[in-house]
Amino acid sequence: MVRILKRYFKIWWMLTRNSFSVVLGQKLALLFFLVGKVLRFVFFLGFLYFLLVGAKNLAGYNAHQAVFFFLVFNLLDILAQFFFREAFRFRPKIVTGDFDLTLIKPISPLFLSLMGGADMVDLITIPPLIIATWYIASLLHPTFIGVILFILLLLNGLLIATAFYIIVLSLGIITLEIDHTIMIYRDLTSFGRFPVDIYKQPLQGVLTYLIPVGIMVTFPAKALMGIIGAGGIIISFLVGIAAILISLKFWNFALTKYTSASS
Amino acid sequence: MKKYWQIFKISFEEEFAYKVNFIMWRIRNVFQIIITFFLWDTIFANPGTVIFGYDRAMILTYVFAIMIVRALVLSARAVDVSSDIGEGNLSNYLVKPVSYFKYWFTRDIASKILNLSFAVVEFTVLFLIFKPPFFLQTDIYTLLSFIIATAAAIAIYFFLLFIISAVPFWAPELGWGSQFLVIVVVVEFFSGSLFPIDILPVLAQKIIMATPFPYMIFFPVEVYLGKITGPALIQGFLISFVWVAILLFAMKFVWDRGLKSYQALGR
Repeated sequence: MVRILKRYFKIWWMLTRNSFSVVLGQKLALLFFLVGKVLRFVFFLGFLYFLLVGAKNLAGYNAHQAVFFFLVFNLLDILAQFFFREAFRFRPKIVTGDFDLTLIKPISPLFLSLMGGADMVDLITIPPLIIATWYIASLLHPTFIGVILFILLLLNGLLIATAFYIIVLSLGIITLEIDHTIMIYRDLTSFGRFPVDIYKQPLQGVLTYLIPVGIMVTFPAKALMGIIGAGGIIISFLVGIAAILISLKFWNFALTKYTSASS
Repeated sequence: MKKYWQIFKISFEEEFAYKVNFIMWRIRNVFQIIITFFLWDTIFANPGTVIFGYDRAMILTYVFAIMIVRALVLSARAVDVSSDIGEGNLSNYLVKPVSYFKYWFTRDIASKILNLSFAVVEFTVLFLIFKPPFFLQTDIYTLLSFIIATAAAIAIYFFLLFIISAVPFWAPELGWGSQFLVIVVVVEFFSGSLFPIDILPVLAQKIIMATPFPYMIFFPVEVYLGKITGPALIQGFLISFVWVAILLFAMKFVWDRGLKSYQALGR
């Protein structure tokens, strides 16, 4: 098992280096995207700040807590984009039949389709985002257990995000449509920019358990604040495990529908 | 005129040819409205709350009005112009007896009409689901001012889009990057399509109101709400028209230079 993991890490590292080389070949484009992403983040943070200056609280959460929810959402979103950027390049492979070349390689096609090239722009933005999250978290005076639960639930959130990306890829094989499905997934997760408590029922329930944005984003943040019960934590991990198992099953089903058209 | 009518009809039918793409795009718009609606609904949960000069009815009307104004102003096929230049497809149009600007404006109109029709349906459905308090403007002069402000907004967005799309004349690899930076990030925030600009501090408001961005969404919606009247309305129109003129000249200047640099790369 360790040998397999080492091998896959080596492959990932190689693919990531290649992906970075391509991006570094277009430094000005990298700068435009980087500036765009940073500005979008700063503008939204500024909006949230001014909003809370006027409104005093958001669904009972103070300014620090509301900003923390937003930071956790961004952290999860950027981590998923950093690791799974290759998913955005999946459609041409299916449409042209080039996915055949992925299937004949002695490496998991899912691994190659999902993690075949990390995103350099996101990598640059991850460290400052972690520092900002850590700083705002420290203002919330979390307990040691709260921090551990936060990290575990954040990893669980990343697991659910992985499941979402696998489902998007699988749908891509079946329907040949990827770009909009990914954007819809991202729009759905953007409901987590704010705590799911702001949404009314039944939307709140749907966002918590059916499309588990709440479990992905709101629950880790609540764990750090110490306002989540044991039941919520257990359900989170169960949903995480179920999501990844269902997505893998769906991926295997989708592979049987691949027609190798145009190849 | 006849040829542009044909372009209009073909563009309209083309949108229906890619139904899934169009429906997904509309679903994404609905998601954005739902998030914005619930955010403001939570902030104004207590009846009688007045924040930033808005009461519950006004802010929720703002959110719903965004749906319509966005469909009218920000729906545009001209986002494809930069790839036309970057991939050399512009050559196909340069040899045809059509004005490239009029061609894309016609396609934009087709896109706007289609998006507006869907936005009206979405508006009705969401309105029936959420039943928000809605401020119905009945003053004929205000409604007329709203129409003029929206027409200026459409012109501002069209000219701005063409200026940004001209970047690939000199740097083909920056086509999407420049659109992302200006159209996706800057326009999204400073146009008022996410939040009303007047929730920001006065200095920030003054700076933003001097740019063309708030005249795309914020200004027309505020005019509809009746929040901008009298001298402020005239001042808003003046700035808006000045930006239309500046951007028109800037677009012509940039495209004259760009066409001289155009190398039909990829052809």
